Amino acid sequence: MDFTRIILILAIFLATSPFFQSDAFGQESDDVKTEIQELKQMMEKMQQRITELEEKNKALEQRAQEKEEVKEKIVVEEETEVIPAAPREPQSFLGRVAQALNPEISVIALITPAYYSLNNPVVFAENDPENTGVNVQEIEVGFQSVVDPYFRFDSFFSFSIEGVELEEAYATTLFSMPLNSQFRIGRARAKFGRINQLHRHSQNFVTLPIVAAEFLGEHLNPTSIEANFLVPVPWYMELSASGGSPDVETPTFQRSPDANNVGNLLYIFHMANFFDVSDSLGVSLGASFATGSNASGPDERSNLYGVDFFAKYRPLRNNPYQEVSVQSEFIWRQAETPEEELEDYGFYAEAIYRFAKRWNTGVRFDLTDTNTPITEEDEEEAGIEQAGLSQVVRQDEEEEEGMLGLLGRAYRISPMLTFSPSEFSRIKLEYDYLNQNYGPDQHAVFLQFMYSIGAHGAHPY
Amino acid sequence: MKRHTILKRLTLYTALIIFSVFFINGEAGAKVNVVTSVPDFASIAREIGGDKVDVISLAKGYQDPHFVDAKPIYITKLNRADLLIYNGLDLELGWLPLLVTGARNSRISTLNAEGNVDASVFITNILDLPTGPIDRSMGDVHPRGNPHYMLDPRNGIPVAKGIAEKLSEADPENASYYEANYESFARLLNMKIKEWDEELAPYKGTEMVSYHKNLEYLSEWAGFKEIGFIEPKPGIPPTPSHVAELIKKMKSMDVKLVIVSNYYPQKTPSIIAEQTGAVFLSIPTQVGGQDGIDTYFDLFDAIVGEITGALKDQKGAANHSASGTDG
Repeated sequence: MDFTRIILILAIFLATSPFFQSDAFGQESDDVKTEIQELKQMMEKMQQRITELEEKNKALEQRAQEKEEVKEKIVVEEETEVIPAAPREPQSFLGRVAQALNPEISVIALITPAYYSLNNPVVFAENDPENTGVNVQEIEVGFQSVVDPYFRFDSFFSFSIEGVELEEAYATTLFSMPLNSQFRIGRARAKFGRINQLHRHSQNFVTLPIVAAEFLGEHLNPTSIEANFLVPVPWYMELSASGGSPDVETPTFQRSPDANNVGNLLYIFHMANFFDVSDSLGVSLGASFATGSNASGPDERSNLYGVDFFAKYRPLRNNPYQEVSVQSEFIWRQAETPEEELEDYGFYAEAIYRFAKRWNTGVRFDLTDTNTPITEEDEEEAGIEQAGLSQVVRQDEEEEEGMLGLLGRAYRISPMLTFSPSEFSRIKLEYDYLNQNYGPDQHAVFLQFMYSIGAHGAHPY
Repeated sequence: MKRHTILKRLTLYTALIIFSVFFINGEAGAKVNVVTSVPDFASIAREIGGDKVDVISLAKGYQDPHFVDAKPIYITKLNRADLLIYNGLDLELGWLPLLVTGARNSRISTLNAEGNVDASVFITNILDLPTGPIDRSMGDVHPRGNPHYMLDPRNGIPVAKGIAEKLSEADPENASYYEANYESFARLLNMKIKEWDEELAPYKGTEMVSYHKNLEYLSEWAGFKEIGFIEPKPGIPPTPSHVAELIKKMKSMDVKLVIVSNYYPQKTPSIIAEQTGAVFLSIPTQVGGQDGIDTYFDLFDAIVGEITGALKDQKGAANHSASGTDG
């Protein structure tokens, strides 16, 4: 036993010793040298062959073009001079690394110093800055790659001080299918409205709109199977339908006590339209619907109805880096509980003006309101009732994630200014004024730093 | 009750309309559908494909090809594409991949798909290949080399050849037609290159300043020397200190030419030219970069014309002032 262990350690030691390594390395570089030598020889042979062929070709062309002018002939010779391929440079080490079969890896960090005027700040979304101080909003780690000729796979992990969340991990079909359909399988930010599909670092403001935070959670990302259809109309239209587990972090949708009823899963439908009004102006219009159990009772459901609008004006000719965009979403939530039917709604509207390549500024107004305000008493009652009802465990979760229903009206005004030193870093200054008719006003100032390393992601429109 | 029947009928009609629309799309077009990322390839594909192909370019010629908005409408175009011809070398990294994924089109959706044509593979001498370690402290570098190879007209020939081959694969019936068109395109382009070479010959060795590292191929071909860039690093807009340094350098080296792609900001370059007494040229660098530039030939006619025109004037002016002081 001891003997084998010693041998093992010795073997590991030897294997990692510089002697063996350098030897292995030397051999490898020798291999590479001989390979290069072989390649060179091959190239030379090919070069020869090419010149032979060229000469043949020249002869043929000369015969064919006997009648043409002398000037033309010179041109033909010139052509043969231009076409031959200079040998491609042997691929560098970097090139090989870049072409390795590893997935593309990216890390995007959002670190945000914040100041809140209230001691117990009102924070709506999970990844909003939590307290006065310096906050890690999110460290997003992404791995993306094609799987094979038929699928690609994208995964994003959202790290925070508290832990890790599997934000997205889904496969996308790449092959042609009937009805121009495409499937996404796995956990993905659902196609519901617009902001739900945008990762935090692609959003224009430090805080998530209240309406999205209250109704969708930090993001509505159920594990599901989603079918998307490209409808052949003169503009761009995509219809999406998905069904899956309500494993999302919002009180709007929770796993039903009647969990084996397939009808109680989470279903999401979306229609996206894009109109290319002119080279400079694009307009998107969308409508969304989501329905599923909210777990307040075995058959109690929540329905979300959403409409979204986005327009971007970017003159391509004269001011290449200036653009104006307007984005707005309205969501209506209908939630059944054993006692009553809750009706809540909210919207946000934001306008962004990019006035120089590295600068933009904008303002957002967002609001949530309710036709059925719940009182603090209701809340306590519901909490107790829920605990008494069945699951004590659930109660803790519920408390952490907030209750279904709204206390009243809240609105917020947020101006911001952003400077991006390069495409890979960004500094955003934002002020939030929050007004609630059920609590005190709140002022907040944020200075968000964004850093992005690794693979260069594509920019969603 | 009545309401329900109306609703039912409405749903039925909507469903019918949607499905009919789906199936109308089914008819196969006889022409080869070519989509290109930038217009230079579209122009060449039109020359090679003639009336056997339908060609569209996603980006416009007067648009910075690095920063194209990934408009969803492009997905519908890529969905119907038989061939997608793109520049590669990471030029379209920020916008094309999402669109290709969304296109749901086996012919182009992966690198290995037969209709997915990365035109950079036809190019044999790629410039600015990094020789040492690189990172983004050098700006938005292209680790696979400088992607603006179409600005050397000599690269038009292998690209045209590659496109002809790809068209022949996609549409073997007309292979000889594409081959013949390629032959005549290459012959004409060679003839034109000779003309342009002659026009540019007197100005070989001219020192110049440009905005971004996107004129490397052009200056290599024309024999110009780029002594500096208005961007301090690729992708980073000019800073006052860098501009001041550049002006100093230009004055000390007596550089009299500033050339900038017309999709870049024009103000800083023109100020630099003014302060150094240099000629400021804002040139189209892609087909469609200016009204009237509809082909790859037009593009270089315009570029060479503008450059030689400006340098001739300058020479003339210099001679004139020289003789003036003599007299």
